[in-house]
Amino acid sequence: MSLYESAVKRPIMTSLCFVAVIIFGVFSLAKLPIDLYPDIETNTIMVMTYYSGASADDIENNVSRPIENTLNAVEHLKHISSTSRENVSVITLEFEFGYDIDVMTNNVRDKLDMISNQLPDGCNTPYIFKFSTDMIPICILSVTADESKAALYKILDDNVANPLARIDGVGTVSIAGAPKREINIYMDPVKMEAFNMSVEQVSAAITAENRNLSGGQFDVGSNTYNARIEGEFSHPSQMLNIIVGMNGTAPIYLRDVARVVDGLEERSQRTFTNGEEGAMIIIQKQSGANSVAIANEVHEALPRLQKQLPPDIKLGMIVDTSENIIQTVNSLGETVAYAMLFVVIVVLAFLGRWRATVIICITIPMSLIASFIYLYATGGSLNIVSLSCLSIAIGNVVDDAIVVLENVTTHIERGADPKQAAIHGTNEVAISVIASTLTMIAVFFPMTMATGMTGVLFKQLGWMMCIIMTVSTTSALSFTPMLCAEMLKLQKKQNALFRKIYGPVEHALDKLDDAYEHLINWAVRHRKTVIWGCVCLFAASLLCASAIKSEFFPANDNARIGATIQLPVGSRVEKANEIAERLTSTWKQRYGSDLNVVNYRVGQAGEDDTFSSMSDNGSHLISFNMTLVPSNQREIGLARVCDEMREDCRAIPEIAKYQINMGGQQAGGGMGGQSAATFEIYGYDFDATDWVAQALADSFRHTKGVSEVVISRSDYQPEYQIDFDREKLAIHGLNLTTAASYVRNRIYGSTASQYREDGEEYDIRVRYEPDKRISIDDIERMVIYNGKGEGIRVKDIASITMRDLLPSITRKDRERVVTVTATLMDGYAMSEGVEAGNAILDKMELPSGVSVQVAGAYEDQMDSNRELGTLLILIVIMVFIVMAAQFESMTYPFIIMISVPFAFSGVLLALFMTGETLNVMSMLGGIMLVGIVVKNGIVLIDYTQLMRERGMGFIRASVVAARSRLRPVLMTSLTTILGMLPMAMSHGVGSEMWRPMGVAIIGGLTLGTLMTLIYVPSMFCIFGGVGIKRQRKSLGRKRELNAYYQIHKHEMTKSAKK
Amino acid sequence: MKSVMITYDQAFQERIVETLTYANCRGFSCWPQVQGRGTKTGDPHYGSHAWPSMCSAVMTVVPDERVEPLLARLKALDEESPMLGLRAFVWNIEQTI
Repeated sequence: MSLYESAVKRPIMTSLCFVAVIIFGVFSLAKLPIDLYPDIETNTIMVMTYYSGASADDIENNVSRPIENTLNAVEHLKHISSTSRENVSVITLEFEFGYDIDVMTNNVRDKLDMISNQLPDGCNTPYIFKFSTDMIPICILSVTADESKAALYKILDDNVANPLARIDGVGTVSIAGAPKREINIYMDPVKMEAFNMSVEQVSAAITAENRNLSGGQFDVGSNTYNARIEGEFSHPSQMLNIIVGMNGTAPIYLRDVARVVDGLEERSQRTFTNGEEGAMIIIQKQSGANSVAIANEVHEALPRLQKQLPPDIKLGMIVDTSENIIQTVNSLGETVAYAMLFVVIVVLAFLGRWRATVIICITIPMSLIASFIYLYATGGSLNIVSLSCLSIAIGNVVDDAIVVLENVTTHIERGADPKQAAIHGTNEVAISVIASTLTMIAVFFPMTMATGMTGVLFKQLGWMMCIIMTVSTTSALSFTPMLCAEMLKLQKKQNALFRKIYGPVEHALDKLDDAYEHLINWAVRHRKTVIWGCVCLFAASLLCASAIKSEFFPANDNARIGATIQLPVGSRVEKANEIAERLTSTWKQRYGSDLNVVNYRVGQAGEDDTFSSMSDNGSHLISFNMTLVPSNQREIGLARVCDEMREDCRAIPEIAKYQINMGGQQAGGGMGGQSAATFEIYGYDFDATDWVAQALADSFRHTKGVSEVVISRSDYQPEYQIDFDREKLAIHGLNLTTAASYVRNRIYGSTASQYREDGEEYDIRVRYEPDKRISIDDIERMVIYNGKGEGIRVKDIASITMRDLLPSITRKDRERVVTVTATLMDGYAMSEGVEAGNAILDKMELPSGVSVQVAGAYEDQMDSNRELGTLLILIVIMVFIVMAAQFESMTYPFIIMISVPFAFSGVLLALFMTGETLNVMSMLGGIMLVGIVVKNGIVLIDYTQLMRERGMGFIRASVVAARSRLRPVLMTSLTTILGMLPMAMSHGVGSEMWRPMGVAIIGGLTLGTLMTLIYVPSMFCIFGGVGIKRQRKSLGRKRELNAYYQIHKHEMTKSAKK
Repeated sequence: MKSVMITYDQAFQERIVETLTYANCRGFSCWPQVQGRGTKTGDPHYGSHAWPSMCSAVMTVVPDERVEPLLARLKALDEESPMLGLRAFVWNIEQTI
C-alpha cells in the first residue's frame, strides 16, 4: 500500500501523526530561546597577561609577541590581534565562524601552557576570557543611594555583582561610579620637613601601631589563659593620636603633621544617569551566551537582590538589550502572521472554495511548526533568520498541497468517489510533487554547506527550509489526500451570497486567462521580438546595478548609542564632566521624549573595575550610553541621530576626538553597526604609519558623506619623567629604587595598613596633601632621606622633563597596525566609503615598509560575496541536475535556467527603485529566488510537454498549456510575493534588517514570473522548432541512406557474401 | 454459463465489487492495472506522463440468468458518472472444471 493510500484509508492514524508533530512543535517553540541572530558571536577569545611595571614597548616585545607567535598555530584562527599597554597585554583571537568555542578555548589553553615558561619572571599567568573588549554590555543597572553611599561599592560587590556574576553566560559584572572607602592620611610637607620626617616613617609607625597580636598562653593556678594585645584602631580618628616620631624629647603626634580623612578613593569614575549621579552595574556576556536568557535571569534576580540591600539603595535598569531583541522578533512574528493571512486570501481567491482553502491552509502551520522541532533539537533560537525563513516558506508550502488538491478535484468532478479520487489523484501527481520539492531542496541544501559568517546565517535557514519542504510534501501526499477524501464533495451549486462575492473575482480571473492567451498567441509567433525584448530588459537592469550601493549588513536600529569622547590628553575630570553635562542637556533638549536614558561616566577607573580597565580610560575620557525609544515610536532614524551628535561634538573645540557608535558597537565592526570603511595600515615604524593614517584621515574628513573618522592609535600621552642622576644618587648613598619609591609614596601614596571594621578591610593610604602635589615645583621640592637621615631634595639629584609616550601598541596578525575608520553618514553605503578611501590611497605615496589593507565589514563582505557566489553556482548546478533528471532532457532545464537572470534583473530594479542596498540579506533573497522562479518554469514546461505528448503541435501546445497553467503559476508567485509583502513594508522594530530581503524577493519574483510567463513559451517554440528541423534532417538522411541501400543492395550483400 | 468481462476506471474498483456482490456473482478475477483507450470518446488510460490514469478489469463467470441483472446494474453505474468510463462484454463459457 502506498503512502497516500494508507493515509486515506486510515484517517485517524494520519491525523494523529500530524497532531503529534504539532504538539512536539509547539512544545519546542515554547522552549526556544530568543536571539537577534543565530549564534554568531562565538568566535572571539581574549588572553590577558599582567606584567607589572613594564611599559607598552616592553610588553609588546616580551609578552605579546611570544604569546602571539605560539597562539598563531591554533587551528581555525582568522586573525590574531594584540594591544600592549602599560602593565598589561591583551591578545584577541578571532576564529573562523561556526566552530565550537569551547574546543578553541582548550586549544588556546594548551598552547598557553607551552609558552608560560618563556614569559619573563614576574609576569602573571595569562588569563583566558571568552569575550572580547568590544562586546557591548547586555544590561546596565542604575543604583541610587543616600546614607549607604560611603560603603556602596562593598555593598554592591557583595550583594549584587557577585550573585549576578554567577548567572550562566555572564562574562563580567563591573561596578562603576561607586568609589571604594579609603582612609587617607594627608601629610603637610612643610611640617614634615620641619620635623625631619618622611612619609615612610609615618607609614611604618601606623603599620606598627595598627596590630592585634596573640601573646601566647600562660598558666594561672590550675587554668591556662591566652594573652592578647589589641592595638587595631577601632575608629580612624584614633590614628591622629599615635606618635610618629620624637622631636628631641617631645613626641610628634600624627595630628601635628597630617590630617586623617575617612573618605573615598581619590581617583574614581563618576557616573551620571539622566543628570543624576549614582553608581551603575555593567553586565557583559560571554561569547555565544544568549542575551535574552541572561537579561531574563537578571530581571528575575533583581527583586530578590533588592531585598538583601539596605532600604536606601535602589536598583533600576538603564539599558536592557534584550528588550530590542524581543521587540524585533515580535515584529517579525507579526509579519509572519500577516503573510499567512495573505496566503490564505490568495488561495481562497484562486480556488473559490472554502473547503479546499481550509485543506490547503492546514498544511501551513503544520510544516512551519515542524521546523521548531529541528531548531529545538539543534539548540537553535528564534531569530531574524529563522523567522524570515518561515516568512519565505509560507508561500512555498502550499504549492504541493494545491497541486494534489487540484488533481483530486478533477477526479471528483469526473464522478469518482472522493476516497478513490484522493488515492488515484495523488498517485498521478506524486512524482511531479516530489520533483518540485527536490528542486527547492536543491536550492536550500547547498546553503547548509556554506562556511564562514555566511555559513552561520544560512546554515540554519538551509536546514529549516529543507525540513519545512520535506514536511510539506509529506503532508501533501498523506494529510491532504486524507482531508480531501473526508471533506471534499462534488461541488453543488454555490449559494447566492458566495456567488455575489466571488463572482467578480472569477470573472476577472477568466478575463485574465483570455488576455494572457492572446498575449502568448502573439508571443509564440513573434519569438525574435520577445527574446530581444528580454535581452534588452536584462541589459537595462544591469545599468541600474551600477547605481545600487552595497553594504555588508543592514544597520540595525536597536535604539542604542554609545559614545566615547576624548578631551586633550591630561584634561582634568572636572572639565570632562562639564562637557558631558553640556552635551547631555543639548541632546535632552533636542530629542526630548525620544531619548530615554542618557548615562555617562567620567574619570579614571579603579583597578578593580574589569570592564573599564580593559578599555581605555582616563580623566580626559567621557563614555556615554544612551537609549532611545524603540524605532517605531520615533520619526528620526538612529543613524541620523548619530550624525547629528557628531556635528555637536565637532562644534565643541575642547573635544579632541569623538566616536559615536550606533547600536553601542563600533562602526564597521560587523553586523548591525553603522556602515564604515575601515583601513588597516601595517608597518613597524610608528612615524611612517602615523603619517599615513593622519593623511588618510585628513582626506577622509573632506570627503562627502563621511560622518566621522577615527584613528585607532591613541594619542601620545604627555608624561613627566623624573631622571635621577645615578652618580649624585650614589654620592648621597641612595639608589634608584629607593629614590623612586620615595616619589611614588608621596604622590600615589603608600598603603600603610588596613583599617578593619565589621570584618571589612579598607586601605589606609599615606601621602602628601592633594594641593601639595600639583606642580613640577612640588615634585622637585620633595625630600628624600638617605641612610644617614640627611634630606636631599629631588631637584638636587634629578631633572624633570616632559615627554610624550605611546600609551598602547596595537598589532594584528603579528604586525603593528593602525586602523582608520571612516563612518559614513546615513544614506551612504560602505562601498562608497571604500571607493573613496582607495582613491585617496592611490594618490598617496606610501613609505617603504608600510602596507594598507581594507578590513572590517568590507573584508567580511568580500568573504561572504565569494561564499555566496560559490553557493549560487552550486545551487544552479544542483537545480539543473534535478530538472534534467525529471524531464530526461537537457534542453528544457536550459530554457528554464535562462529565466533565472530575469529574476536577478527584478532584484536589481527593485533595489534601485526603493533605494535599498545590496547586502547579505538582499542577496539571500536573490539566491532563494532561483528555486521559486525555476518552479514556475517547470510547471509551464511540464504541462506544455504533456500537451505535446497528447498530440498537439508546438505552438498550440504552448498556448493551451500557458492558459491552463496561468493560475497555478500566479498562485505560487502571489503566495510568495504577498507573503513577503509584510516584510518589505513593515516598519516595526528591526524592520530595516529584513526589508531589503523582502524587496529583493518581491522585485525578483514579480519580474521573474512575468518574464517566465512570456518568455518560456516562446523559447519552448524556438527550441521545439529547432528540434523538429533537426529531426527532419536526420529522418531525411536516414531515408537517403535507405534509398541508397535499396538501390545498391545487391552489390553490398554480394561483397559481404564474398 | 457466461463470462462477463468488465473494464473500468480504477476509481470504480470498490463500486464494481459491490455491484457483483449485490448481483449475486461471487467469483471473479481482477486485473487492477490495465491500460486502455475508449473506442469513441474517453481519455486513454496509459499510466503515462500524458495520460496518467489507469483502468482495471474484472472477469466473472456467472449462470446465464444473472447476466442481465448484472449488466443492468453496470449500465446504471456507468450512467451515473459517464466521464470515468465503464464497459462490460459477455462471452460464452464452453467448459469449466
